[in-house]
Amino acid sequence: MTGSIFDSRSLRLIAAGLVVVNGFFPALWILLTSLKTETELVSKPITWWPRNLTLGNYVQAFTDQPLLRYLGNSLAVALLATVFSLLVSALAAYAIARLNLRRRQLILSCIVASSMFPLVTLLVPIFETMRAAGLLNTYTALVLPYVVLNLPVCTLVLVSFFQSIPRDLENAAMIDGCTRLGALWRVVVPLAAPGVFTAGILSFVNAWDEFLLALSLNSSASMRTLPVGITLYQGEFTFPWPIISAALIVAIVPIAVLIAVFQERVVGGLTQGGLKG
Amino acid sequence: MAAGASPPNSWRDPSEKTLGVMLLAPAFILLALIVVYPIGKLIWNSFHDLRLSGGGGVKFVGFENYLLVFKDPDFWNAATNTVLITVITVPGALVVGMGLALLANLPFRYKWPVRLALLLPWALPLAFAGLIFAWFFHTEYGVVNDVVRRVASPAEPAMWLLRPNWAFAAICMTIIWKTSSFMALILLAGLQMIPRSLYEAAEVDGASRWQQFWQITIPMLMPSIVVALIFRTITALQTFDIPYTMTKGGPGNSTETLAMLIHKTTIDYLDVGYGSTLAVCMFVLSLVVTGFYLRHIGRNA
Repeated sequence: MTGSIFDSRSLRLIAAGLVVVNGFFPALWILLTSLKTETELVSKPITWWPRNLTLGNYVQAFTDQPLLRYLGNSLAVALLATVFSLLVSALAAYAIARLNLRRRQLILSCIVASSMFPLVTLLVPIFETMRAAGLLNTYTALVLPYVVLNLPVCTLVLVSFFQSIPRDLENAAMIDGCTRLGALWRVVVPLAAPGVFTAGILSFVNAWDEFLLALSLNSSASMRTLPVGITLYQGEFTFPWPIISAALIVAIVPIAVLIAVFQERVVGGLTQGGLKG
Repeated sequence: MAAGASPPNSWRDPSEKTLGVMLLAPAFILLALIVVYPIGKLIWNSFHDLRLSGGGGVKFVGFENYLLVFKDPDFWNAATNTVLITVITVPGALVVGMGLALLANLPFRYKWPVRLALLLPWALPLAFAGLIFAWFFHTEYGVVNDVVRRVASPAEPAMWLLRPNWAFAAICMTIIWKTSSFMALILLAGLQMIPRSLYEAAEVDGASRWQQFWQITIPMLMPSIVVALIFRTITALQTFDIPYTMTKGGPGNSTETLAMLIHKTTIDYLDVGYGSTLAVCMFVLSLVVTGFYLRHIGRNA
């Protein structure tokens, strides 16, 4: 950027500061709130830095509500959804990228277009069906729709990765006696591992964040996921903000660590098949 | 690979088609189960009086549900709110996201804090963003009113979530914050693909930074902008999590969206027939908006 006002180092720092504050301030504020006592929180004018640091809110977050259970539910649902999304979309993506199928573009479009349907409109019949099948308040009720939710992104990311692997490698494996699926498993999958990984992280975040279906289908206390469980910490007239904040921090940390460690993959995947708002 | 050295299962193998069907089957069975069948069921429901609460059974009522929808003030209220949220937050997120992307595209020595600052709001569940900002906008103890008091010292603190228009504004700001980082990530990827030589040539021709932005950056970014706008619009029309966690649609139903009305009708009141009719109307609305959008943007791009 020649001739820019941002040529000077200090102005660049200000620019970085703006972006960083915008991104981190809400989470930081919740962290500070979670370390304050209830009395400090309701004193005016409000304090920014906690006067007396306390971890009591964290203890209460786990004892007031089954937060550990919510955490377990979220992990189970997100992991199951990720594994099945990858499995289903890897098979479909392989067929689209590698087989001599007619209308492969149409097949891919069908899968991607399914993401255009507003989830809310599907909520009613999905709720009705799950209720009739006795699947309300089970992991299955969430995992099945989440796999479909993830299908477009995963398929797009995997198709482009599969297409980048030279066919010769597969042919060579098959000459050496591998079957078609053997070559897929031994040659294509290991080479596509970065793509599988990227698609996996996107699936995990999607499933971890989903709220509407989780709220509607799994409302019983023992089956709530984190977003649903924490939203319901509030009583009829009370908002126990320090406890909600502590619970939020517990819920944010896993996903924050995940994206911090794999940020380059996440950004790559998002810009390739990024379909989440 | 030479064509002569055809492996046992060559690419032209007739079993290719069978294999294709087998590989695609799981995806399409799931789509049929979770998308196609529900849409059919939804349309069927919308022509029936179907309540799961009583033992009333199912009754065909023709277009009665649709007539009810058009006379239902709650529907028009929710539809207006949904459209307003879309019209405000989609361009809002684009402008804020563009600002963030331009700032994040500057040459920093350490790129990861900036990148993480864009990723964190994206990865945060919408419901959490709603909860966090509900606390931000708390009348007495919220940080927003604290900053306002320090800067402007008004006589009365704004009762953000307790007054209809203020609550609506607070929700829009929250949605813009939450979604602008996704915009910024998409736009940033676009920015990084613009060749530097274009700017250097413009520099030689004496174009100002402002001219460079409108003559080079914006046209080159257009594909990214269109993609980001389309996906943002589709999700904005489905807005549920943030108003639900911030105001539950209140005060009154001043911040209730279509998605919230459908959820309330179906899940809370178990009125599946009417809820389905609302869902069909919402589906039509989103088709109209995206269709209109696509044509308009398609012409301009």
